[in-house]
Amino acid sequence: MAPHKQSSSGGSHPVGFGPGGKANGFYQPSSAVAAAKKPNMQLIQDDHELFLQAFEKPTQIYRFLRTRNLIAPIFLHRTLTYMCHRNSRNNTKRKTFKVDNLLFKVEKMRGEQETHSLASNLQLTFTGFFHKAGKPSQDCENEQNSVSLEVLLIKVCHKKRKDVSCPVKQVPTGKKQVPLNPDMSAGVQAKPGSFPSLLVPSSEFEPSNSHMVKSYSLLLRVLLPGCTQTQINGLTNGENHHSRDFTEEVVNRKRRSSSLREEGETTFVAQMTVFDKNRRLQLLDGEYEVSMQEMEECPISKKRATWETILDGKRLPPFESFSQGPTLQFTLRWTSDSSDRSTAPVAKPLATRNSETNQDTRPCTLRSTQTLALKESVNTDMQTRREQISAEPRQKLRILYQFQYNNNTRQQTEARDDLHCPWCTLNCRKLYSLLKHLKLSHSRFIFNYVPHPKGAKIEVSINECYDGSYAGNPQDIHSQPGFAFSRNGPVKRTAVTHVLVCRPKRTKPSLSEFLELEDGERELQRTYISGHNRLYFHSDSCLPLRPQEMEVDSEDERDPDWLKEKTVKQIEDFTDVNEGEKEIMKLWNLHAMKHGFIADNQMNEACLLFAQNHGAYIVKQNLCRNFLLHLISMHDFNLVSTLTIDQAMAQLRLIRSQATQRERDRQEDEEEEEEEDWETAVESQPELDPDPDPDPSEYKPYSEETSAGCLEKENQEESGRGAATTERMLNKQKLSGSVLN
Amino acid sequence: MEETAAADPTPGIDAAPPTPRPPPSPFAPSRSLLEWRRRVKSEYMRLRQLKRLKKAEEVKTLFMSNRQKIEQQTNLLNTEWSKLRIQSIPLSTFSGSMPGKKMCTVEFGFPGFKSQAITMRPLSTVAGIPFMYSWSPLQHNFMVEDETFLHNIPYMGDEVLEQDEAFLEELIDNYDGVHGDREGGFISDEIFKELVEALSQYSDHEEEEEEEAVVAAEAAGKKEDERVMRRSSKIPNDKIFTAIASMFPYKGTTEELKEKYKDLLEPPDPVKLPPLCTPNLDGPFAKSVQREQSLHSFHTLFCRRCFKYDCFLHPFHATPNVYKRKSKEIRMETDPCGVDCFLLQGPKNLWIRICYGHRGLGDDGGSSVPPEGKEGDSDHETTSSSEGNSRCQTPTKLRSGDDDGEQQACCVVQWSGAEESLFRVLHGTYFNNFCSIARLIGTKNCKEVYEFAVKEVLIHRVPLEDGGISPQKKKRKHRLWAKIQLKKDSSSNQVYNYQPCDHPDHPCDSSCPCVMTQNFCEKFCQCEHECQNRFPGCRCKTQCNTKQCPCYLAVRECDPDLCMTCGAADHWDSKVVSCKNCSIQRGLKKHLLLAPSDVAGWGTFIKEPVQKNEFISEYCGELISQDEADRRGRIYDKYMSSFLFNLNNDFVVDATRKGNKIRFANHSVNPNCYAKVVMVNGDHRIGIFAKRAILQGEELFFDYRYSQADALKYVGIEREVDVT
Repeated sequence: MAPHKQSSSGGSHPVGFGPGGKANGFYQPSSAVAAAKKPNMQLIQDDHELFLQAFEKPTQIYRFLRTRNLIAPIFLHRTLTYMCHRNSRNNTKRKTFKVDNLLFKVEKMRGEQETHSLASNLQLTFTGFFHKAGKPSQDCENEQNSVSLEVLLIKVCHKKRKDVSCPVKQVPTGKKQVPLNPDMSAGVQAKPGSFPSLLVPSSEFEPSNSHMVKSYSLLLRVLLPGCTQTQINGLTNGENHHSRDFTEEVVNRKRRSSSLREEGETTFVAQMTVFDKNRRLQLLDGEYEVSMQEMEECPISKKRATWETILDGKRLPPFESFSQGPTLQFTLRWTSDSSDRSTAPVAKPLATRNSETNQDTRPCTLRSTQTLALKESVNTDMQTRREQISAEPRQKLRILYQFQYNNNTRQQTEARDDLHCPWCTLNCRKLYSLLKHLKLSHSRFIFNYVPHPKGAKIEVSINECYDGSYAGNPQDIHSQPGFAFSRNGPVKRTAVTHVLVCRPKRTKPSLSEFLELEDGERELQRTYISGHNRLYFHSDSCLPLRPQEMEVDSEDERDPDWLKEKTVKQIEDFTDVNEGEKEIMKLWNLHAMKHGFIADNQMNEACLLFAQNHGAYIVKQNLCRNFLLHLISMHDFNLVSTLTIDQAMAQLRLIRSQATQRERDRQEDEEEEEEEDWETAVESQPELDPDPDPDPSEYKPYSEETSAGCLEKENQEESGRGAATTERMLNKQKLSGSVLN
Repeated sequence: MEETAAADPTPGIDAAPPTPRPPPSPFAPSRSLLEWRRRVKSEYMRLRQLKRLKKAEEVKTLFMSNRQKIEQQTNLLNTEWSKLRIQSIPLSTFSGSMPGKKMCTVEFGFPGFKSQAITMRPLSTVAGIPFMYSWSPLQHNFMVEDETFLHNIPYMGDEVLEQDEAFLEELIDNYDGVHGDREGGFISDEIFKELVEALSQYSDHEEEEEEEAVVAAEAAGKKEDERVMRRSSKIPNDKIFTAIASMFPYKGTTEELKEKYKDLLEPPDPVKLPPLCTPNLDGPFAKSVQREQSLHSFHTLFCRRCFKYDCFLHPFHATPNVYKRKSKEIRMETDPCGVDCFLLQGPKNLWIRICYGHRGLGDDGGSSVPPEGKEGDSDHETTSSSEGNSRCQTPTKLRSGDDDGEQQACCVVQWSGAEESLFRVLHGTYFNNFCSIARLIGTKNCKEVYEFAVKEVLIHRVPLEDGGISPQKKKRKHRLWAKIQLKKDSSSNQVYNYQPCDHPDHPCDSSCPCVMTQNFCEKFCQCEHECQNRFPGCRCKTQCNTKQCPCYLAVRECDPDLCMTCGAADHWDSKVVSCKNCSIQRGLKKHLLLAPSDVAGWGTFIKEPVQKNEFISEYCGELISQDEADRRGRIYDKYMSSFLFNLNNDFVVDATRKGNKIRFANHSVNPNCYAKVVMVNGDHRIGIFAKRAILQGEELFFDYRYSQADALKYVGIEREVDVT
């Protein structure tokens, strides 16, 4: 029993989902509890061990991430597509938006400012005053459970020459009885209209005749009869989605622990700027929760306005301030008429744009972002909306989380009655959003949705495929190395693709996408952003790849140097192969490696290319007969035709005769006609030596002469003419070849 | 060596046993032997020292030349880059007098020296990169032999743990030995020879003193007479060998050493060559040898599969089957090559008739010519393209009256050894096409060639040809599907390496190695073209990337010599081939990049986006046997880094020492690539393909585990030992 208890209380249990455990946490289904009998104690413990083994670590990780995201959010949930209902603004106006409108609005606003025709009244509807010392109340009629609130409008006027300080005018606007600690969480509320409400007429904001009013602010003063003295909070700011949860819990806790001190009446004050000195509107429509301060000698000291909260000399995190101090909740509306609804702030979107950041630290928090539902928020009445929101979980949509572990052989079920994510306590509000959130934000688990008559069943199992590899935009984790501007002017950088707008085709949200699906659908979850935003390295030297080297794959040669050397060495190592054979084999191997021949029917080409590229060398090194042997051998392997042999050898003969010719040219510098002579000689007897010495037994000296040590030199010298000759001669030879064939 | 050296020249007792030679006098030899032994020792040491110095010198020069090469390359690259507009590597060269710069001072305790100071120049931080063992780039697998010697004892960290020690012991047990174990006492042939030569110097000096030396010299002189070929160096004193034998007993007895020395003296002789080696045909010593001898090196070293000599992949190279020549290859020379052509030697218009002629020159050697059956009807050389017929054309002369003159000319013309060899070689290819032969020989005209042929009695040796292709393609195609299916389904999930079969007597039946290993016969096999086990290739007109293509179905790449319609045989130069099933052989890999991985160590990244199932790269490496892989794997497991990849039942690809960039691709259970072992022109090769569409700059992963299971799925490899 014990471990189960533990798990549901949310203290040490891995799935103990946040501090709101008591209110929102799981409870064990009765069946599970009943099943756990004493004799099974050991068994249960083992089972629990397995459960912990499987889920403890990821849960801890997600709890850590949740906290981190609360303090330093990387993104806002409301900006996610599937969480769009958490977003308070809509983009309907974008469709009709025109750039001209901006100008128009600005002009209009300017005109307004001049005439100052703010034709709207400020309506405040007070929900309640929350103070830990107070008791929760159901009805505000009870005198005991209400406090009296006084609202004053403070006008700070421009200093005149004679004034020492700015003249301040306080205009009382009214007094109301506000419920003390109304029970909000239960959702049991009084009728919408029953809340005390107060109207500041628009005329108050008109420029007064005597003084030019610099700024307007509201001073809220709460008189708590017989209140207990508690700690005073400092000023605070910051947004907190879950402040109410915190508040309640802390209130409950504090009630026990805090030292109580009875006193007479206590006054709490808070001040909020309505229009700052630039006449910008600071308070928009919305729900506000204002942290109040106990009034002492000086009610509000600007000096103390800091972002931190100090309690007992210790700093409090931003959220805590609301859980500690007395707060006043109210709804603020601008109505154009006292009876009519209005949209006063809408008229000045530009003016109010930066209100939140500009505002010098007022003890107020804009709560509209998280509590306002999206579309109808502006127009519907606040109370009815609240009703709706709180009504949603009250449908008793039960979410059953079925944890499967130990190779899916065991399972444990826990249930929740709301649509909060169990790991990050995020209120997803819709089942679809919850599932989407779980799937995307908690990918260490696999979630499968199973429809259930009472709500939904979600099977949770460990994602074995999760390997921690970063699936997001690589550009987010790697910064571009190097610098953009060199001394020599602009230089090339690695091209990086930044996606500005990406509209992937979205399927219509439907719960069916969370049903267990067959494999192969994983492709959908891919990043849409790609690019080369990282530093690459040469694979051979490990040196960084410079941007201009990106385009060439430098290390992919078919014949790297070492391999060339290796093949040469390997052939050189043979003892029963003669030098001529070795030489031609080495040449051929290098040739074949360079071109990477793969097919038999490439061989004819290959041999001709070989003769073409290496013919000069073969002639020079006196390897012609070995080359012929090579060709014959290829023919024996059925790789080349005799035609190829003929052509290749003809090419070689041509090169040889050219070399000889050049030799002769050098000798007979003066002679003019030698080219023709030689041509006729070739024509008449192509198979015979152009060499004057006819004795074939003296092959060696002849070839030495032919090999022409000066071949290359000559080549360079008369490359122009040589090339022309080559071409002519080539034609000639081919012609004669064709005749012969 | 240490032992024998330590046993100093104390008594003759030590020296006596290893001396087989009976000493003529008990006193003098032992003394001289001791003397000799001393000399042997000192000379040996000197030579060793010399060797060491020489080696050091060699290493030094190699190193220097390497440095030079690097410098050249650097300069080359620098000049190249200086032309481009590029981003230079930022240097931290700030202008000298920056305020707030730290000064570094060196002070001397000695008052005579002034203290020196210079501003500190901090180097900019450079981010570290992952560790990388060196490796050699490769784009094709490389077969290496088993290493029976352990080359080095793997480094396991500075302190050797106990289990490591046990591991090392076990490791060494796996090998025959460790490299460099027996260094000392080793005496190589080279050192031996030099030692004897050095010692013989002594003998020259002391010749007059020792009478025995005279006897030895005499004996040497006798030997000298015997070996006329040898240069005047005499065989040194026997004492030298005796002394050496006593110093290095394991090298053999005195006589053996002597013989060995004689053998060692042989190689300087330029004429002496190993038996199968023929002299260079282009060189001055070319000899007249048979065709087989001339072509022996080319035939045995050429790899018909790689088109290279002594290739890196196939240890056994089949020699060509000369008698199965493509019939159409041999073209006939119908026209006389010139005015002096042998075809025109007879009466003018008779040259056509010679083709009908059978051994008209019977007296020259026609007696031994085998009668050619088909000859008569086949030789209409005007339609020389006719196939399946004998190529035999016997261009002879009808008139024996010309013989005399020809004979005469024949006698006059001198044939060198090279020309004779060349003629025999060419005749084996061109047969009686003497015009072509003459042109190729280059130094003889066709008349002379013809006459030589007559003399050589080679005119009528003509290969037999066999018939055309039987028209049974349709039937075979249907059978093919069944066969592929059979091979895939076959119960034994074993894939063996392909080795071309060569069994000339019988067709490919159950005893054929190809059939036994369930491989298709390839074009490299020596069996008939019509062999039932041959893979016929595909006739696809599409991309060959579905199972409609029989090649794809059989997990083979399209063979450019078999699949003629799909495009595998076209566009050799372009990267765009219609057939998508020939990427590995063509090396149509994607541009890959190397960078530190997002996951672990180095990673492979892709430059351009690829589609699903597109070929990315081949996984290349050393091809090693399964045994070798086991041995290596044990070390790799210890290092926790393995590049082994199972290829088939016989071989494993190891990319540790040699490989390509894909070797850095990391493992993932959710990968974007998959590996597939494909039969590519007779070789199994590993292709890495895209498992899904991959965007540019993405890191590549494949599943190391699945690669084996996948291989199982595709070609059916099973390997019980977990390699990686």
